[in-house]
Amino acid sequence: MVRYRKWGWGLGIATASAVTAFGVASWQANAAPTAPSATAEPPGGSGQARVSDPSPLPEAATGSGSDPLTSGELEKARTVALTPELASGAEDVTGKAGPEYLSAEIDVEAGGRQAELYYYDYKTDKLIKQVVDLTTGKLAQSFSAAGMQPPASEQETKAALGLLVADPLGAGFKESYRKATGKELNGTDGLVATAHTYTAKPADQGASQCGNSRCVQLIVKTENGQFLSVSEFIIDLSGRTVARLK
Amino acid sequence: MSEGSGTMTYRKTAGAVALLTSAALGVAVPSAASAAPASPCGTQAMVKETLPNGTTWRLCWRIHDKAGLILDQVFLSTKRNPEPVQVLDSIRLAQLHVPYDTGDMEFDDLTDLGMGGGFLETLTGDDCKGGSARVGSDGSEQPQQRKVLCVSAEPSGLAYRAREEAWDDNGPQPGKLDSKQGHDLVLRTISKLAWYEYVTEYRLHDDGQISARLGATGDLAPSSEADANRGWPIGTGDKYYSTMHYHNAFWRVDFNIAGKGGEKVEQYDTALDGRGEVTAKLKTTRTAIAKEGNFSKVNQRWWRMTSPNSKNADGHQRSYELVTGGDDRYEGHPETKPDVTFTQKNPCEKYASDNAVDPECPANSKTVIDFAKNKENLSDPVMWVRVGFHHVPRDEDQSPMPMHWQGFDLVPRDFTAMNQLTPDGRTGLNGDPQPDPGPSGAQG
Repeated sequence: MVRYRKWGWGLGIATASAVTAFGVASWQANAAPTAPSATAEPPGGSGQARVSDPSPLPEAATGSGSDPLTSGELEKARTVALTPELASGAEDVTGKAGPEYLSAEIDVEAGGRQAELYYYDYKTDKLIKQVVDLTTGKLAQSFSAAGMQPPASEQETKAALGLLVADPLGAGFKESYRKATGKELNGTDGLVATAHTYTAKPADQGASQCGNSRCVQLIVKTENGQFLSVSEFIIDLSGRTVARLK
Repeated sequence: MSEGSGTMTYRKTAGAVALLTSAALGVAVPSAASAAPASPCGTQAMVKETLPNGTTWRLCWRIHDKAGLILDQVFLSTKRNPEPVQVLDSIRLAQLHVPYDTGDMEFDDLTDLGMGGGFLETLTGDDCKGGSARVGSDGSEQPQQRKVLCVSAEPSGLAYRAREEAWDDNGPQPGKLDSKQGHDLVLRTISKLAWYEYVTEYRLHDDGQISARLGATGDLAPSSEADANRGWPIGTGDKYYSTMHYHNAFWRVDFNIAGKGGEKVEQYDTALDGRGEVTAKLKTTRTAIAKEGNFSKVNQRWWRMTSPNSKNADGHQRSYELVTGGDDRYEGHPETKPDVTFTQKNPCEKYASDNAVDPECPANSKTVIDFAKNKENLSDPVMWVRVGFHHVPRDEDQSPMPMHWQGFDLVPRDFTAMNQLTPDGRTGLNGDPQPDPGPSGAQG
């Protein structure tokens, strides 16, 4: 692994852009630090320790080394990752054609700029990973597996809240909303949800399919900042059903 | 599209391909460039700060949607040792497991929700007072450039004090005083996971120590009521018992001492060993940990990661020691019991629990227990450190909840031949403080 790491840096040099070159210069300048352009003022005024306070640079078109994926790189990677096969064959949480896009990250161990994109296909209930080589602009590898449930996307969180509010089991939830706000619940208006993915536990009753199905547990906040108790509800996004744990 | 089975081999093959590709590309590298170390990240992602005592830390940072703040390629240089030497390949959170004592709620926050992305707070108010709020990608699926990392230099108290004794005709006189204030370079992000707010913090001390800790503030979980065995009354009387719960935090620490890798893991135990002339004798023994495994602390046990390939100026192998402090062990799962797990580095092993979230990787490798199960030889070890905090709510938790912390230290052991902060005038004080000048001095 150490060997790969070194070669990885070597690759960084080989594909050096202007941004990388600047990075190198800055990295090497360590032995004789130059006066920073600005410094952050510590509490208590001068005489205390300071750190530099660089002005943010505009986002680079491409990253180097372990830099996070830039917007530009991600846009490119998403275009490559969404193959025609996926775009037509997979389904998102709303039932539309195309997989549910979950997340993207840089693979720093790959030894080059390589993006890993994660999708969920509601048609097959599988997590999909598309690996895109940003240097060649090609799809390097694809993987899929059932029973893997990383965090939910914003669209999935909204869909889960919609299912909960529309479900007859959500009656108690509507009651707690009325108590918290003094108003009748109007759909999902004014609600902010946070979704934890949920995997069935051994003693689970009512949501034992979760894990193979994509399920979430919500935390719901009202517009006046109050949290509503909904942790006993499990929303199965694959089956579009709501279960109550207790 | 291939299925997830047999993926370990696939991953390794991919690495080999990358190696060949870069080797081929390496031919085209101009000789001047190949002689210089490549920057491991761009300018925006780099932190390089010199503390008042002359210690410089430099590293790359990034935000991961699940793990939150990651520090990569952490190098240390000091006034006495100005050549930067690598300490860490990376350090990051590896899970935050939160089970409630009622047994009806538990979360793996990193893999159920994520510490980065939309859950990462933009720094504001006093979040980064006196520091520099750095802009970077928040790691979300549609990355936003936001002020998310706070970099600051904070006083760490008295780093050392020593006064020499001087003698004249009138007896002992106050001699030269060496007294120095220490400083930490502090890196910190804030993740708001509904009511709880977590602070991920790394303190890089000017003497080479690294402290990793997680702070929790915000508000107690609402509508989480328990009986007196599982809750604590908050508010008037005993109408409402707020549920007790654990925060089980795991960190993944990957050393790369002096860039040489291949650290050896050692465990040290100290036990009674008979009597000396005055009191008990003690014996400290070293156990080499050559294979993967889970380990727990008993009285006077500690571990260190030693570089067989890099020595300090005294000829001693450089190492870092794991120092653990306050910890509440959660007995509800096998993976939350060990204090530390050492595993052979494996890109499929990402999260200390709920690890099976990558279709490229085996579905049955879920926890640190699974990672260590096959007892692989440790040629490139990764250290998984667990620190638990059992939160018994109290009246003062409202409101907001005062910050509570959990974490550990990585302390340099023989990383340098002397104290990194040794002042002028004490540089000769290395070794036997009172060497016997005679030829029999070696018997010490």
